[in-house]
Amino acid sequence: MAIIPLRSGGWQGLREALADRMPIEKISFKTLIQKKEVPVHRAAWAYYLGGLVLFCFLIQLVTGVLLLFYYQPTVSDAHASVEYITKYVSGGALIRNLHTWAASAMIFFVLCHLLTTFAMKAFEKPREITWISGVLLLLITFSFGFTGYLLPWHQIAVNATKVGLQSIEEAGRYLPGQLSEMPGRVRELIQGEAAVGQATLSRFYAIHVVFLPLAVFGLIGLHLLTVQLHGMSQGVDKVTGKTERFFPFFVLKDFSLWGIVFLIAAVVALCLPFEAFFSYPLFAPYDALGSTPDGIKPEWYFFFIYYPLELLPFWVVMLGQMVVLGVLFAAPWIFKGTSRRTLTTIAAAAAAYLIIITLFGQHIYEFFKGDM
Amino acid sequence: MFDAFFYVGLPYMALIALVVGTAYRAHKLRFTNSALTSQFLESRQLVWGTVAWHVGIIIVLAGHAVAILLPGLWRALTANYVFLVTVEVIGMAAAILALGGLSVLLVRRVISANLQSVTSVMDFVVLGLLLFQVLLGLGVAVAHRWGAVWSTQTVTPYLWSLVTLQPDLSYVTPMPPMMKFHLIAAWVIILLIPFTRLVHIFFFPVGYLMRVPQKVVWVTRRRFEQNVTVRQAEESRRYFLRTAFGLGGAGVLLSLGVFDKLVRFFSGPVMAADEETELLRKKLNRLEQAAKERHLELERLRSEYIHVANLAELSPTEGKYFIDYQMRAALAFRGADGMPLLISAKCTHLGCTVASTMDNQGRILCPCHISYFDVKTGQPNAGSPAKTPLPHIGWVLMDAAGTLMASQRPGGRVEGAVDATKLQEYRVYIAKQFGDLA
Repeated sequence: MAIIPLRSGGWQGLREALADRMPIEKISFKTLIQKKEVPVHRAAWAYYLGGLVLFCFLIQLVTGVLLLFYYQPTVSDAHASVEYITKYVSGGALIRNLHTWAASAMIFFVLCHLLTTFAMKAFEKPREITWISGVLLLLITFSFGFTGYLLPWHQIAVNATKVGLQSIEEAGRYLPGQLSEMPGRVRELIQGEAAVGQATLSRFYAIHVVFLPLAVFGLIGLHLLTVQLHGMSQGVDKVTGKTERFFPFFVLKDFSLWGIVFLIAAVVALCLPFEAFFSYPLFAPYDALGSTPDGIKPEWYFFFIYYPLELLPFWVVMLGQMVVLGVLFAAPWIFKGTSRRTLTTIAAAAAAYLIIITLFGQHIYEFFKGDM
Repeated sequence: MFDAFFYVGLPYMALIALVVGTAYRAHKLRFTNSALTSQFLESRQLVWGTVAWHVGIIIVLAGHAVAILLPGLWRALTANYVFLVTVEVIGMAAAILALGGLSVLLVRRVISANLQSVTSVMDFVVLGLLLFQVLLGLGVAVAHRWGAVWSTQTVTPYLWSLVTLQPDLSYVTPMPPMMKFHLIAAWVIILLIPFTRLVHIFFFPVGYLMRVPQKVVWVTRRRFEQNVTVRQAEESRRYFLRTAFGLGGAGVLLSLGVFDKLVRFFSGPVMAADEETELLRKKLNRLEQAAKERHLELERLRSEYIHVANLAELSPTEGKYFIDYQMRAALAFRGADGMPLLISAKCTHLGCTVASTMDNQGRILCPCHISYFDVKTGQPNAGSPAKTPLPHIGWVLMDAAGTLMASQRPGGRVEGAVDATKLQEYRVYIAKQFGDLA
């Protein structure tokens, strides 16, 4: 099966396929500003979700750069510098809280965006590039979360990172012979030394503040460019035919939504430290010689993989994860002929799983493991 | 008797009246569900009164609702001091706003002769009662601080005891008088809802939020004769300008706020002398700790033997943490034979550090995913997430002079002879020669 159906073979065909998907010549003031239309229908609210993710990313970018001015990525100073920011620097607590809250919001919106675009079949030809870049951006967003969590270098963060990295090594148990060493090597490569330490912090820091942002810039550019080239996907099986002008109507509504989200984020960041929801002393700095504190958990947005890891055999989870990733990447080809109705059902099931495991994961865990 | 009536009888009466009365009005008297408009007769004061009142009271009631419906979450949130202060300030500000609005509404009814013709006695009763109630609430908030916290332990359980049909007066009796009046007035107001204009709260016209704003205007001859299209254009231009000014103003305020925060963020903190010393001391401590770890690392690279503890220090039940040759945490116990028992503390599941206290079955617990390891064998309990045992670590015993007395390879037997009388002087070492763990 040809991945991209080519009209003719070889280079010629590839060029044609690419030209179909990247009709750069379409770009003009007229098509982008004067003529662009957005479909109006029942699910039209989903067109705002991608914009919200972008907005959260912009907040992250600004607050992140601000945090860089005071943060010090060394094992001895990291924790103290974060404390310095929240306690002494004027507006520092606000900016750090905004950074953590907007990070959560970004993950939330990114998941909503994923599910709705899937349900709306926004990956259909010729939007495969938009979809693939979107899946990559999703992975990057999660990597942001994972690397950023370590940076304050407190007990919970370091231990959660240890556990997270160790589960890579766990995969080695299921690989044959020489290969079984590989995951362990990969883990050491990521953490930079035998145990999570200064090398890990430096690497995560570099990944979090340089590598991932650069990757996002490139991919967001591609993602947005292809969206602009092909316009909004029709989104529903039966086209209503109703549309509204992108500029100024859609843009204005989009911006007012950004305004509302910013207001909420600012108010929440102002009066509610992110840690307010945790019952354990989050602020104890990491002590390499002490014991691991009770009940360490990753951030809420990793619950969907954390609780299955706790409850099911490792290989089941790993296999499931591979399958989901594969399906995500191959969605434009797997679901080529599927109706939006079916896609919506799949997306709703996925949403139900995510919501239930995130909200009630602890209850489910205690239900099954309560006797221990 | 008195209490039973006001805090149990009255509430149930009020709730029954509320449900029955509202349902009756919704069915039989459809068109009386909204509050009678008086905007035609007097609109200038109305806008200051009604907007302030409604914004204020909705915020206040939302606060009450959260504390009643989600007391657990609310308690967790208000445990945070900054959050507590913020919600109390917002609550009081909203109450003052509501009070101001309500006063305007009351004064307006009293001084305008036009309005009196559409005002019933009940309207005055409602206005007076609401004013009284908001004053009481504000009084409680000021006199008995941090209501956001204590209400979840007193008012919420009382209300839930009513809901579950097991009224519990023990929460109400010790309350201060002002709070009791606030409760009674609340029940009276709820009782009155179906009989007054207050019923409109259940028939909130959601559609109003979505529709294009409409304004009722008095049709005069002049307006009637004016060209309609010209007037529409005029209106829409005014609307556009107002919106533009509003947005522009908001933008300026926002950028001013952001700018102010940024400048101060960059200029850095001004710290008191004691704060500065405290911070420096902390940083120095951390540096020393990091240095200590480096020393440990260097020591492990260079030395053949590393001192763990004196044999006398070791306890059979409480392990002593030390760092093994691989820079991983490990625990030292004293075994049943009086010899050291050294075991890795790095959980074989996902690498957490195992806790040091032995339970009564001779096991130590990894708190991350609940695996119990038998110290003697290293084996995890059946069904635990960890599948492989914690490895034991070889040790060497030396006497005070540094002569090697006894040793044990990991998994091997104790070699050498010890002088039982001198056990207390012996020191426990780990040895590089034992290399990797068994």
